[in-house]
Amino acid sequence: MTRTHCPYCSLQCGMALERVGRTLEVQAWPEFPVNEGALCRKGWTATGLRGHRERLTTPLLRGADGEFRPADWEEALDHVASRLRSLRTAHGNDAVAVFGGGGLTNEKAYQLGKFARVALGTSQIDYNGRWCMSSAASAGNRVFGVDRGLPFPLADLERADVVVLVGSNLAETMPPAARHLDRLRERGGRVVVLDPRRTPTAERADLFLQPVPGTDLAVALGVLHLLDAADALDDAYLAERVEGFDAVLRSVASWWPERVERVSGVPVAELRALADLLASSPRVMVLTARGAEQHAQGTDTVLAWINIALGLGMVGRDAAGYGCLTGQGNGQGGREHGQKADQLPGYRMIDDPAARAHVAGVWGVEPDTLPGKGRSAYELLDALGTSEGPKAMLVFGSNIVVSAPNATRIGERLDALDLLVVCDLVLSETAARADVVLPVTQWAEETGTMTNLEGRVLLRRQAVAPPDGVRSDLEVLAGLAERLDAPVPFSVDPAEIFAELGRASAGGVADYAGITYERIEAEHGVFWPCPAPAHPGTPRLFADGFPTPSGRARAQVVAHRGPAEPVDDDFPVHLTTGRVLAQYQSGAQTRRIRALPDDGVFVEMHPMLAARIGAVDGAPVVVRTRRGELKAPARVVATVRPDTVFVPFHWVGANRLTHDALDPSSRMPEFKVCAAAVSA
Amino acid sequence: MSTGERLVIVGGGMAAARLVELLLARDHTGTITVLSDEQYPPYNRILLSAVLDGTHRIESLPLHGAAWYADRGVDLRLGVRVVGLDRERREVQVADGDPVPYDRLVLATGLVPTLPPMRGLLDAEGRLDDRVHAFRDLDDCRRLLDAVPHARRAAVVGGGLLGLQVARGLAARGVEVEIVEGADHLMRHQLDAAAGRILVRDLRRLGTEVYCNARAVRLTDEGVVLDNGYLLEVDLVVITAGGRPSVALARAAGLAVGRGVVVDDRLTTDDPRIHALGDCAEHDGRTPGFVSPAWEQAEVLADVLCGVAAARYEGSRIVARLRARDLEVAVLGDPEHTEGERVEVSNPLTRSHRTLVMREGRIVAAALVGDLSRVGLITQHFDRGTRLAPQEAGLLLLGDPAPAADLAAALGDSAEVCACAGVSAGEIRACASLDDVVRCTRATTGCGGCAPTVRQLLAGRALEGKGVTR
Repeated sequence: MTRTHCPYCSLQCGMALERVGRTLEVQAWPEFPVNEGALCRKGWTATGLRGHRERLTTPLLRGADGEFRPADWEEALDHVASRLRSLRTAHGNDAVAVFGGGGLTNEKAYQLGKFARVALGTSQIDYNGRWCMSSAASAGNRVFGVDRGLPFPLADLERADVVVLVGSNLAETMPPAARHLDRLRERGGRVVVLDPRRTPTAERADLFLQPVPGTDLAVALGVLHLLDAADALDDAYLAERVEGFDAVLRSVASWWPERVERVSGVPVAELRALADLLASSPRVMVLTARGAEQHAQGTDTVLAWINIALGLGMVGRDAAGYGCLTGQGNGQGGREHGQKADQLPGYRMIDDPAARAHVAGVWGVEPDTLPGKGRSAYELLDALGTSEGPKAMLVFGSNIVVSAPNATRIGERLDALDLLVVCDLVLSETAARADVVLPVTQWAEETGTMTNLEGRVLLRRQAVAPPDGVRSDLEVLAGLAERLDAPVPFSVDPAEIFAELGRASAGGVADYAGITYERIEAEHGVFWPCPAPAHPGTPRLFADGFPTPSGRARAQVVAHRGPAEPVDDDFPVHLTTGRVLAQYQSGAQTRRIRALPDDGVFVEMHPMLAARIGAVDGAPVVVRTRRGELKAPARVVATVRPDTVFVPFHWVGANRLTHDALDPSSRMPEFKVCAAAVSA
Repeated sequence: MSTGERLVIVGGGMAAARLVELLLARDHTGTITVLSDEQYPPYNRILLSAVLDGTHRIESLPLHGAAWYADRGVDLRLGVRVVGLDRERREVQVADGDPVPYDRLVLATGLVPTLPPMRGLLDAEGRLDDRVHAFRDLDDCRRLLDAVPHARRAAVVGGGLLGLQVARGLAARGVEVEIVEGADHLMRHQLDAAAGRILVRDLRRLGTEVYCNARAVRLTDEGVVLDNGYLLEVDLVVITAGGRPSVALARAAGLAVGRGVVVDDRLTTDDPRIHALGDCAEHDGRTPGFVSPAWEQAEVLADVLCGVAAARYEGSRIVARLRARDLEVAVLGDPEHTEGERVEVSNPLTRSHRTLVMREGRIVAAALVGDLSRVGLITQHFDRGTRLAPQEAGLLLLGDPAPAADLAAALGDSAEVCACAGVSAGEIRACASLDDVVRCTRATTGCGGCAPTVRQLLAGRALEGKGVTR
């Protein structure tokens, strides 16, 4: 039996894998504290991809006739290396881009960043985590001087008095986490949910607010206004631990509740109920997720909710404060070790000379050889194949065709590349458009660490041998590095790479130097920062101060601007997107697991809207935006706002509709709201 | 605007404050001087009634402190009374000071409260009787708050939006209140008689007497005498009989003045160097008198002053919300004077009366009294001009039907009960016990949300076994 963690979301539920005959069975691992043996159906069925008939086991090269043909690994890697070499010679190092994923292990994320900077010498690397929790990351860095999704263990939720979930449907997206909410309520605590849809999470709420998509920020400004008006803020805490809060208070003075009601659609009585609840609760926890963050004002929205947690004096208090519920499996670790265009391992910034010197030292190269900051994910994709942009791209752990916003445009950019190389388990929609597809190992077939939403570093041990013909992403990188005459060798051994990652991160914000595989197994994970073997790790941050120059949190003034694309006569309803329980991300894995229901894409709408356009439950409707259109069955439910439609994003379609306006700070696209027209 | 132009704003209210913020955000290049006759930097005037009723502390009223303006190079001069304009010399004349030269001038002088024709309000020297209060600015509010502890009974003269807010605020502070309104119902500018009557009933239920069709004609030592002969024995009188745009300065300077200072779509008066916005301005024959149009005007005027040629003000949609405890009122647009089909739902039993005025499928005005459960959505449709189907107006007013009884017994065998594990009601019914459910189906072991339903299904199964039909 092998103890490991689920291949999907950021909860990284503990599970055990056991071989029974020829099959691999998922079993509970009750001792692991985050999920205590509970799993959702995605976890229980996670081994369904093993031996799947669609599993790729040989590299594919696209021939002159436009069709794929099988190739052996030597030929495939030689081909890729020689094409990369000639494109770099013709157009410079930045002609090659690398696109990673928030599902890759820390070892892969680290190695990918190193490969881009050292073997390719390109600045053009980013990853799909940019589309996940980057707004919360940006906000956390600005206020607290550090970005760790939850600065406390998830189980602390149970001991709070009020948990406010802003744009999180955790009961569907990470079901075992909802147990903590239930225990909180059994204790007499309260749950508040803000969401344009009354989700299964909202069904658990004591107070549910249903704002217009794109107005969570205005709601936060209004709640802080009410708290200040009622003299409910913690003045002593603010004086001691926070900078800039006076300016914040003046900025919310003009957000009286009736104004917020008009902007957000949330009635004044509900705003007051929330403020009253927060004002009267000793321990308040505010948690944001993609609903709040995936906006062109996502960072500001998070900052506004952080201001509430700061104003109440909650950040750093036991069982209270602010946190982000990260989405992807390694959304946290994936952003700490160099996959991001502006970062080096240990959450170091690539434009910091000291950080460059340290990391270059670990890598055995000169600091001057490291490239600078590259384009963010969407900007990178948007530049592909243009005269200024990259001519080739290597993709690891991402299905861009399904998950990028304004996907029709991005599909065109992918097609404009001279060379697209995709590493995947199956022929994903993105792999199907590639010039070269490299079949790689999956989850149970390889070892590596993940950092879950709590900042807890976990170990996934290899449970089974990979099928013949597939290689690990690490082997792909090493093979290419060698063929490209990289100045230093690239290891293929996860433990060795993790040790190197530890050295590279030493002294950085996300310091892994004291973490080993053995410690992770013995301690049920280790929380970073953990700078030395004798250090216990850091389950809780901020009790004594913030890692800012002054040691105080830096509160930020933010203004509400509203969605980048307001509704109008031609596109009169808001479109928002999200997940369903049985699918994960682009669905490349979950859609192929037979035990998971694949109902396909649908358009969720309120009966009033359905009646307006003559839509019938189950019959097709057409959703149009300025960027594309989608035909799918209507799902008529009273739980969504009557002025909003919801489309899940696991299938090709939703992201042909979405808007590519970017957050100025996090470069997060506005996935969660745009203007649409719906017709039957 | 070219570098170095001198912009002078007369008035330091919410419109002026917003304009300054927006000019700074647009990197306005000239100098900005604000002349305010109040002692305080701009504050949230519309929340004065919330201060009165105790829900908003007075310290939280300021929009920005004086230092904020100074740090940004804005010359905010407080306590300055403007006495005249010299358009030839382009100077603003102020009491007790040198004239202030301008290249561009903005009038944001607001409203002056209307005093009703009531004898005894003013003493021989023309000062208000000590018992009489206006409720327009922060000084009025402070003075009223000082008087409240010594007052037992108060008359509020004027039954409009502000009058009702003041009345409820005083009541919250333990003062007995009587409202005097000249028209036949309350909020006569916004509501019809049926809605106004509901407010009267609400107020009486809350202990406030209301006199409609009544005029306060005289203040005596005993109290307020009404034209119907009633004497209200009160020791406090608050005048909330509305206000007039403050136009004296503009009129004396020879600018075109109607009810307010007349401006065009660029918020410019008939003198191209002089603009006006907010409560004092008259655009397209209207002087709306609320904050949101003033702020929308500030957006346009900031563009105009920063040289945006295309900037035009095209009027505003107004949403008026009564800010008063235990009175639920929202007025969208001008329901009493807007043409359209009226969809009304009135329920005297719940003291609610709601009207939507529809034109070509859009909500063009609305009045909601006593039931604001759908105010958020109705306001969204109104603001965005959403085209609705014919049945929707009625549905918006009727509200959601009560949810169907959520009994586990009603679940068909194929209905999904546990989403985490994908388990149907039938599969649960096939189990003998909760342990059995966990072992065979894994229901309840994910998020735990289905546990109550599973228990009910198991209980229903036990009943069946005892011969009880489902």
